[in-house]
Amino acid sequence: MAEIYDAARDLYVVPVRHHSPACAAHLAALIAAVGPAAILIEGPCDFDPLIPLLTDAGTVPPVAIVAVDDRKGEAGDRRVVSYFPFCAHSPEYIALCLAKAAGVPAAFIDLPMSHRAMRDDEDARAPEAVDEQRLNSNDYVRALCTRLGCRDGNEVWDHLFETQLHQTGWRAFFTGVATYCGHIRDCTDMARMEADGTLRRETQMRGLIREARGRTKGPIVAVVGGFHAPALLEGGDGKVVSAKAGRAYLVRYGHRQLNALTGYRAGLPLPAYYEGLWARRDRGADLYAGYAADLVTGFAAHVRDRLPGFSPSLPGIRSALENARRLAELRGRPGPLRDDVLDGCRSAFLKGEDSGDAAPVMSELMAFLTGSALGDVPPSAGSPPLVEAARSRARFLGFALDDGERRNRDLDIYRKDRHRDASRFLHAMTFLETGFAHRTAGPDFRVGVDLDRLHEIWSVAWSPGVEARLIELAADADTVEGAVAVAARRRLRDLEATGQGNNASAAIDLFITACQAGIAAEARRILPFIAAQVAGDSELRTVAQALRDLVQLWRNAPALGLDDRGDIETLLVGGWRRGLFLLPNIADFGDDRVSDALIGLVTLREVSELAAGQVAGVAQSDFDEAAIALLDAELNPALAGAVAAVAVLSGHADAAWLGTRLRGDLAGARVEPRDRVAFLRGVVTVSRELLWSVPDLVAAMDEVLDRAEGDDFIALLPHMRLALVGLDPRDIDRLARTVAERRGGDAARMTQAFAVTEAEMAANLALDRAVAARLAEAGLA
Amino acid sequence: MVDTQLRAPAETVHAEELARLAEKDDAPRPPGWQLSPRAVRRFVQGDDKLGITRKFYGDDPLVDRAIVSLMSHQGLMLVGEPGTAKSMLSELLAAAVSGRSTCSIQGTAGTTEDQIKYGWNYALLLAEGPSERALVPSPVLSAMREGRIVRFEEITRCPQEVQDALISILSEKTLAIPELGADRAVQARPGFNVIATANLRDRGVHEMSSALKRRFNFETVRPIEDPAFERELILKQLSERLGAAEVKVSGETEVVDLLVQTFQDLRTGRTREGVALNRPDAVMSTAEAVNVLHAAALDAAYLDDGRVTGRHVASQIQGVILKDSAEDGKRFKAYVDHIVKDRAGRSGPWRDFYQAARALKLV
Repeated sequence: MAEIYDAARDLYVVPVRHHSPACAAHLAALIAAVGPAAILIEGPCDFDPLIPLLTDAGTVPPVAIVAVDDRKGEAGDRRVVSYFPFCAHSPEYIALCLAKAAGVPAAFIDLPMSHRAMRDDEDARAPEAVDEQRLNSNDYVRALCTRLGCRDGNEVWDHLFETQLHQTGWRAFFTGVATYCGHIRDCTDMARMEADGTLRRETQMRGLIREARGRTKGPIVAVVGGFHAPALLEGGDGKVVSAKAGRAYLVRYGHRQLNALTGYRAGLPLPAYYEGLWARRDRGADLYAGYAADLVTGFAAHVRDRLPGFSPSLPGIRSALENARRLAELRGRPGPLRDDVLDGCRSAFLKGEDSGDAAPVMSELMAFLTGSALGDVPPSAGSPPLVEAARSRARFLGFALDDGERRNRDLDIYRKDRHRDASRFLHAMTFLETGFAHRTAGPDFRVGVDLDRLHEIWSVAWSPGVEARLIELAADADTVEGAVAVAARRRLRDLEATGQGNNASAAIDLFITACQAGIAAEARRILPFIAAQVAGDSELRTVAQALRDLVQLWRNAPALGLDDRGDIETLLVGGWRRGLFLLPNIADFGDDRVSDALIGLVTLREVSELAAGQVAGVAQSDFDEAAIALLDAELNPALAGAVAAVAVLSGHADAAWLGTRLRGDLAGARVEPRDRVAFLRGVVTVSRELLWSVPDLVAAMDEVLDRAEGDDFIALLPHMRLALVGLDPRDIDRLARTVAERRGGDAARMTQAFAVTEAEMAANLALDRAVAARLAEAGLA
Repeated sequence: MVDTQLRAPAETVHAEELARLAEKDDAPRPPGWQLSPRAVRRFVQGDDKLGITRKFYGDDPLVDRAIVSLMSHQGLMLVGEPGTAKSMLSELLAAAVSGRSTCSIQGTAGTTEDQIKYGWNYALLLAEGPSERALVPSPVLSAMREGRIVRFEEITRCPQEVQDALISILSEKTLAIPELGADRAVQARPGFNVIATANLRDRGVHEMSSALKRRFNFETVRPIEDPAFERELILKQLSERLGAAEVKVSGETEVVDLLVQTFQDLRTGRTREGVALNRPDAVMSTAEAVNVLHAAALDAAYLDDGRVTGRHVASQIQGVILKDSAEDGKRFKAYVDHIVKDRAGRSGPWRDFYQAARALKLV
């Protein structure tokens, strides 16, 4: 069995797991029994000045110390920020509070926060994340999982240690933890510990313990992550790195952020669960069963108005509890633990094929056990730089921050620099999803609407929610622009992760948003991704739509603050070639993809009209040639119509030819009347102006309809109507007039209302009533 | 007698293990159970100390939940894709809990309510009128009388009105037999419960009514995600099958990696390297993988030199892929043309596999 006490140094090295209620409870007992003269905690040694604040009566966990590294990174201005959270049941927090109560000195003993081994970025892995990984994926832990029938390291931990929360006997408890952690350490590669800075940190801790020993009389308690305990107990040399410049803040923190499953680096997941466990620590052996009952009934009440269509019944709740209790029994536990409760609810509440933890009920349960509580810090605590930066920027730009009142703000974005800055700031805050502002009007560069507007109108309100969101983001950067850049990079990464193709438009959106938020330089990183998306996309429609967005972007670039449009032009030309390359494929498209092909063709033509003559390398003739080459291919009639329209518009074919083609199709011998009209639909989709600029078209329609027999006419009519549905009232008027003129009638006369005499109307009404009566008689009304 | 059986039930195959477990079992047993819940768990998940083999690979918490469901008032419903060992798990549980797994109903489109409740021996019925002697009990009725587990395979293949015959049995644990008298009813003895298996996605299945769903605890059995695990399982089952027929082959350990990877790629629609591909509609279960390897091994043993290669696998895999839809052929061809081709340059089995797969008539 592993020891936790070194008599030679009168030193207790207490192995804990972060945020473990059982560790916290037994640690409190240990401190009461030992009565230490000093308490040392694993954590950056330059956090010491924050200890009074952390143990202040105004501090309500969960809170976190945010460390901001002042050093400039390789990229020049990159900030490195790390979080060290504490919750009500963190052993470290309990130890600090007890030290304050007993009036003994407390100190942190890890490397300073600016040390490489402590940094939380891509080059240096977060130290606590490494510890946590060990607790879950170590060979020893895996073997224990198999032996104990547990699914993961967290369940093993609960099974072995959280089950002892109600027991007394801290010595046995910590001996157990030390043994467990010692075995994990034995199964860890020495070279890895060297590489990830573990050994370096332990040297520091040993050094600071020795210093504390030197100045203290009486027993010392050192509270450290269980993994490090053996190395500290053994003694050995210690070398102390003193604190360098760096800033640290105590900030409010939330359960949601704490939850290891969604980001927080260390500790047991689902903090609300463990907080509840901690709150019941004095209730004896029944605490688990009682807590499970509270949880299941609490969850049922919580979920009732949250999940539509799911309302747990009383038998369901009883069955969930019974399952949890029996599972605990089967697994040899004093009462249901976290996984037993989860399993019990899964059995009772999920009906049908479930999608595991992604099922709505289960994710709601996870959220319930994660909790949503936010901590509080005393007013003297200060805030992280990002919050300060956003606040001072907002104040500088004239926004009110003192109340939560919602106000409107009108920004003259082209003529006033200050308003333009304000607009960028608001766009940035919107992009960061702070909820500070939303735009109610302004030019939309994405869709190309309202581009002539000179003003933007915003609705803004500062709220605690805004600050909470900024604190969440404080880890990214300490300026608003920096945070936007990181968020944009993250979103780009998400787009990359969702696979190839179809993401070009989303990436263009992102690019525009980033430009509006004032980080045009950073936004250029997105361009290669757009290029790759377009190059990898094999759908004509999406490529053409992306191209249209690009043309819009190109035209609006000056308004967005982009002076150099070269990159976008290169992108456009590349996309244009891709579109032309894909165009011939529509010949092989099946019926189900005709409308996609049609949209692609029309959009591509639109692009050629918008960009031709302006962007070098995009010529309308390229498109026309590619489309005309399809004339001889065997196309779906709708596509054939579209291609024929292009041929006429580009002067390749004449109007009479188009009329003949249309006549041939309308009068064709196709099974479905729809296919006879499809050619017309294709023509109209490309250009409805052709309907009056090419009289042959109306002539062809008129002739065919004239000759059509009754049934034939009725079969054609709905499809004709559908083909012409894109026409607006003015177009319809114009078309009607053309037809009327052709028929030698007077269009004005045809639109006249027909008068109905009173007698006629009375007769018709009587007839209507008679029919209704007959229908009612037959039981059909 | 047992020697000539093609397939013996779980309680016969594992009779010795069950006996050993019963002997060492000192934990309390729920009424009607042959073993304690912990011993049942050991029987399914294996126990090195007692020399009990692991029989169900995959989700251990699921097994725990299943055992607990059987102790409760609820029935147990195992759902999931075909070939994920649902039926095997239900057989193992029934064998361990009741000592008998043969009490079962196979759901089909032609299953009638008689087969769930009771039928009559019509000769006796005509001769004597309704009597206990003329009654032909269904497996459910027998299980109720004896306090055993009854298995209902593929319950969603039955029409809904037939499925619903179970509702009152599950909630009241009583089956009325009005023909024998107004208040004649069979009360289930302790130990009675139902394990149903269902496939919710296949063609030709019926919806389950909400009332019936409420009376079951659902467990979804998933395909094995861990390639190493799947590999181990496939090889084990292959050696069991070949051992029974005394067939000897070589090279299967190299080929099985290829097989597992192909199946996992096609099952998830994404390769290990993250390349996306079109998932075939066909079921790419572990059980199918075993079938493919078994057939490939037989091919190699009887028609070739006894060495299983990628070529044998390729020619057998066609039968798995081309089942449901013609599109699957195209999808597999794209997989072969892009992903397999790429791998063919790197290892021998993949090269053989590629060459043979390219020659398949897939489209």
